[in-house]
Amino acid sequence: MNEKKRQKYYAKGVTVAMAAVMLLSACSGNDGGNNKEPAKTNSSDTNEGVTVGNSGVAEPLGKYDPPIEVTTVRSLSDVVENNVLGVLKDETLEDNRWSRVYEEQLGIKIKYNWVVKGSDNSDQYLQKMNVTLASGDLPDMIPVNAIQLKQLAESDQIEDMTELYEKYASPLTKDVLSQEGKSPFDAATFNGKLMAIPQVDPSIERSMFIWIRTDWLDKLGLQPPKTMSDVLSISKAFTEDDPDGNGQKDTYGLGMTKGLWGGAMGLEGFMAGYKAYPNIWIENESGQLEFGSIQPEVKKALQVIQDMVKQGQIDKEFGTKDGGKVAEQIASSNIGMEYGEQWNSIWPLQLSKDNDKNASWRAFPIVSENGETPKVPQKFSTTKFIAVRKGTEHPEAVIKLFNMHLEKNWGDTAEFDKYYAPKEAESVWQLSPVTPAPPKKNLEAFRQIDAARKAGDMSTLKGEAKTIQEKIDLYTSGSEEGFAVWGWERIYGPEGSMGITDQYDKNNQFLLDKFVSAPTPTMVERKSTLEKMQNEVFIKIILGQPIEEFDKFVTDWKKLGGDQITQEVNDWYASNK
Amino acid sequence: MSGNSTKSASTVMYRSPGTGKRFDWFVVVNATFLIVVAVLCVLPLLHIIALSFSSSAAASAGYVKLWPVDFTLASYDFTAGREGFWRSMVISLERIAIGTPLNLLLTILVAYPLSKETQHFRFRLVYAWIFFVTMLFNGGLIPWYVTIKQLGLLDSIWALVLPGAVPVFSIVLLLNFFREVPKELEESAIIDGAGQWTTLWRIYVPISKPAIATLALFSMVEHWNSWFDGLILMGNPVHYPLQSYIQTIVIQMNFGSMSRDELLNLALISDRTLKASQIFLGSLPIIAAYPFLQKYFVKGIVLGSVKG
Amino acid sequence: MHLGGSPLHFAQASEEITMRSARTWRELPFHLMILPALLLIAVFSYIPMAGITIAFQKFIPAKGLFGQQKWVGWDNFSYVLELPSFGQVLWNTLYISSFKLVLGLLVPIIFAILLNELKNETIKRSIQTTIYLPYFLSWVVLGGILIDLLSPSGGIVNALLKSFSIEPVFFLGDNKWFPATLIVSDIWKSFGYGTIVYLAAITGIDPGLYEAATIDGANRWKKAWHITLPGMRMVIVLLSVLSLGQLLNAGFDQVFNLYSPQVYESGDILDTFVYRIGLLDAQYGVATAVGFFKSIVSLVLISGSYFLAYRFAKYRIF
Repeated sequence: MNEKKRQKYYAKGVTVAMAAVMLLSACSGNDGGNNKEPAKTNSSDTNEGVTVGNSGVAEPLGKYDPPIEVTTVRSLSDVVENNVLGVLKDETLEDNRWSRVYEEQLGIKIKYNWVVKGSDNSDQYLQKMNVTLASGDLPDMIPVNAIQLKQLAESDQIEDMTELYEKYASPLTKDVLSQEGKSPFDAATFNGKLMAIPQVDPSIERSMFIWIRTDWLDKLGLQPPKTMSDVLSISKAFTEDDPDGNGQKDTYGLGMTKGLWGGAMGLEGFMAGYKAYPNIWIENESGQLEFGSIQPEVKKALQVIQDMVKQGQIDKEFGTKDGGKVAEQIASSNIGMEYGEQWNSIWPLQLSKDNDKNASWRAFPIVSENGETPKVPQKFSTTKFIAVRKGTEHPEAVIKLFNMHLEKNWGDTAEFDKYYAPKEAESVWQLSPVTPAPPKKNLEAFRQIDAARKAGDMSTLKGEAKTIQEKIDLYTSGSEEGFAVWGWERIYGPEGSMGITDQYDKNNQFLLDKFVSAPTPTMVERKSTLEKMQNEVFIKIILGQPIEEFDKFVTDWKKLGGDQITQEVNDWYASNK
Repeated sequence: MSGNSTKSASTVMYRSPGTGKRFDWFVVVNATFLIVVAVLCVLPLLHIIALSFSSSAAASAGYVKLWPVDFTLASYDFTAGREGFWRSMVISLERIAIGTPLNLLLTILVAYPLSKETQHFRFRLVYAWIFFVTMLFNGGLIPWYVTIKQLGLLDSIWALVLPGAVPVFSIVLLLNFFREVPKELEESAIIDGAGQWTTLWRIYVPISKPAIATLALFSMVEHWNSWFDGLILMGNPVHYPLQSYIQTIVIQMNFGSMSRDELLNLALISDRTLKASQIFLGSLPIIAAYPFLQKYFVKGIVLGSVKG
Repeated sequence: MHLGGSPLHFAQASEEITMRSARTWRELPFHLMILPALLLIAVFSYIPMAGITIAFQKFIPAKGLFGQQKWVGWDNFSYVLELPSFGQVLWNTLYISSFKLVLGLLVPIIFAILLNELKNETIKRSIQTTIYLPYFLSWVVLGGILIDLLSPSGGIVNALLKSFSIEPVFFLGDNKWFPATLIVSDIWKSFGYGTIVYLAAITGIDPGLYEAATIDGANRWKKAWHITLPGMRMVIVLLSVLSLGQLLNAGFDQVFNLYSPQVYESGDILDTFVYRIGLLDAQYGVATAVGFFKSIVSLVLISGSYFLAYRFAKYRIF
């Protein structure tokens, strides 16, 4: 098998010389026109149609008989390659427990036209997807981002999924995909037609917390923050009162990166304390959408951060450091507080624990200036959509894959330990080409664990909750491996970040990004320019330039396309209400 | 100061300037300077090596400078077990084994006719510009990809080798070296009845060994370091050359655009010692190539080959 | 002059034809030698070159390379020109790359000559190999190392400056210093690799020339000036002209890994600028337009110097 592949790999070269000559002679007349020819021959080798004679096929989980083949493309993360396929010796990307389920139970064979290493958001993946789209050789199932989806929809290359979704999506699928509200579907709807199935990614997971080194808090006799002024005094104490006890002034109150924003060491949570919500679109009293970054509250927050830098509470060099570099400072006990998402204890905070066994971090809810419950901003995070090539024999197959994936993990026949996260290879679910999941699954798992904890009976736990509880037990056992899963205990344990998410959820604290569609025309043209200007001005203000620069930024932002973008965003908002 | 000593000093001066008999300040200063610069150049690699032998906790906190902290072979153990890494290294070696000879052959074949005077080869200028223009203009990523795809080369090693098979920069360089070959050599060969092919292989190529060795090195380095074409043109990671493989683990972290899945993965791949060991092992073969090629950089080779 | 008519003219013409065909016959091997390479560049360079037309389209990948793309004339060019920071970006690019060009030529030449003065072969070869090492570390990797080395608080470079009581310099965060940092670190990374071709040129110099000069009593400097440097002249001229074509390439990988919003003002270059406006939103028309603009500038600079070299020195670079 392998030998054959290798032969093919080399044999192609032999035909090249001939192909080159042929192509050249074909092009000797003129260059432009006859480029078309090879494209034509190529598109003719699509799948042979297979008629389906099985009545069960119309069912959400019905099987194709004879089986059909569905082509797609995917990324392959380092983790799947090494921590999943590297461990499961008899499984490959083409032939594994997921592909077997799809083939045996649904009669769907998955074929990957290409696989690219890295993540779905890497530049390479983006480039590869774009060249694939441009070469016209679309797979049956096309995983795309919002921009690509919009382009495909506008050039009429993909199937309208509206009715298929109604007909084929199982009740479970419909339930799960609607848990995030209608935003993910709005993002995939063009002229009233659903053009792709959104792979709903939970915004709730992107909530912000204040992660604080509690061993330092205890040492300095401080209480967890209730208001922003508490946050500031903790930051001040961490900077000036030598929390690491080495007699040197080598610690900082707050960690920040040159990127300013994001899920770890970001500023969104801090700014939310001043009712400033940069980078997202918020609704004002009159029902219009406004861009968060240009509101006066941001100016106020910037002023506070500027003062913190002046007083040495933030590393003056943060402007050149990316996440990896700041994580180094956290690991070497130089930073005692940072704003980030629920997973931060796994990375980068575990690094701090690895280097100092006594280090302890804990997530606290973000706070406001006056102690009232603050809003927690959430970026819209569904970024992947599965479109289906127009003319595909079985456009509904993708929906069946969604059904099956959810069924095997969270349905009545779920085998969580086999298909989602078996102990030996926890990321096994990533082997599936589609990976929908209930948006609140992690929160649900926490609620189950929490309930069991309070009832004192862990034996009722199953599925993901059970797997997680085993990690917590491992940690509390105090063993060597247990030490490595400290980060999990910090998320799901009694004082974990998920408990706060739960609290956020129950208090209705979330403030969602109101604009969820593909970028508007002016956004495509101006967004990067405006973003550059924003981050440049913000960093300069933070590093000491007069705060009045902010007013100039707002004027410039509006002038350089911001006003027009606001108009377009509101037009979209009105038409989607 | 006696007249005698002045005289002897000037004799010494006359006899052996620069041959090193006398204590020579220039030689010392020069050597010291070059060694200092050389040390500055070796530091980053030493840092990478030190990282690769350190414990990952120490590496993650930035404690490692130029010497391993908590010495361990763990990262090498892990890398050794990574099938993908070694498979990619083999592909990179294959790429060089096919690509470099091909580059050199085409460079020599094109450089020779173009090194002729216009009166001996009327079309040389036309050809020269045809080749040169390709150095300046290109249609960008998409047409390049589509062309290679239409030729059916995707996923084969030829996609890594053929599109860049004609290194125009090297051709221009070599044709200039060829021009410096003494004309008498060629004339005497032609009198002996040698044709153009014979003249090229028997006279021009042997005499230009240092230049060709240089171009061989350039070609090898180019092939070894390329990663983008591997990522875009290979549909299956099994066919990645080494630098494409490494590229996917050394990227900058951008939290803004990461999905939840990736964030969870982050914890597992952020091990810097592992990256360091792969970067080091990944650059070792190409670093080793240079000292090997240096033997062709021997002075007097011009005379030697003429005699032979 | 008109052809045909009298027998005399006819004979002349036929003789010319025989001479011509003899010449063609004699030049045939040259054509044959070039043919394979010609075919390859026709396929892999000239056919894709037709894609430059993308610069004049509002190109949408999803519509396909041969799909119904909208033609927009020079819109992509004017769009870039009218972006508010374009002037700044172009200036940064020219500024950074001019210094890189000049120093990138001079430093390797100086090192090649200095290395050539070393008589101990072992030391010479070790140094050659060592200075070639940084070339093999990518900017992603070097970026992390440079941040440490150049840090104003803990970096070794500033510690050195401090020992000479010089104020710490924020090399990567100060707009006054950032371009210089880019230039110096780039030269440091690549000069060792750059010396190789000069060393190859030096090996081509006839050792007899040095011996004769020694007998004539020439000192080290005279020999370097009158023998070594002229011996490298061809390569120097050639590389200078070719590197002019790089005037608008200030080094994407390096800048991308070292810059930050703090130094956009002095460090944002054409390629990073196009990356941000082009790639992420798939604006291939704009990216191609900028690429085309860069190609034209290179073509003008290189052919200009090509013809100047021919006019004044009777030297054809290729």
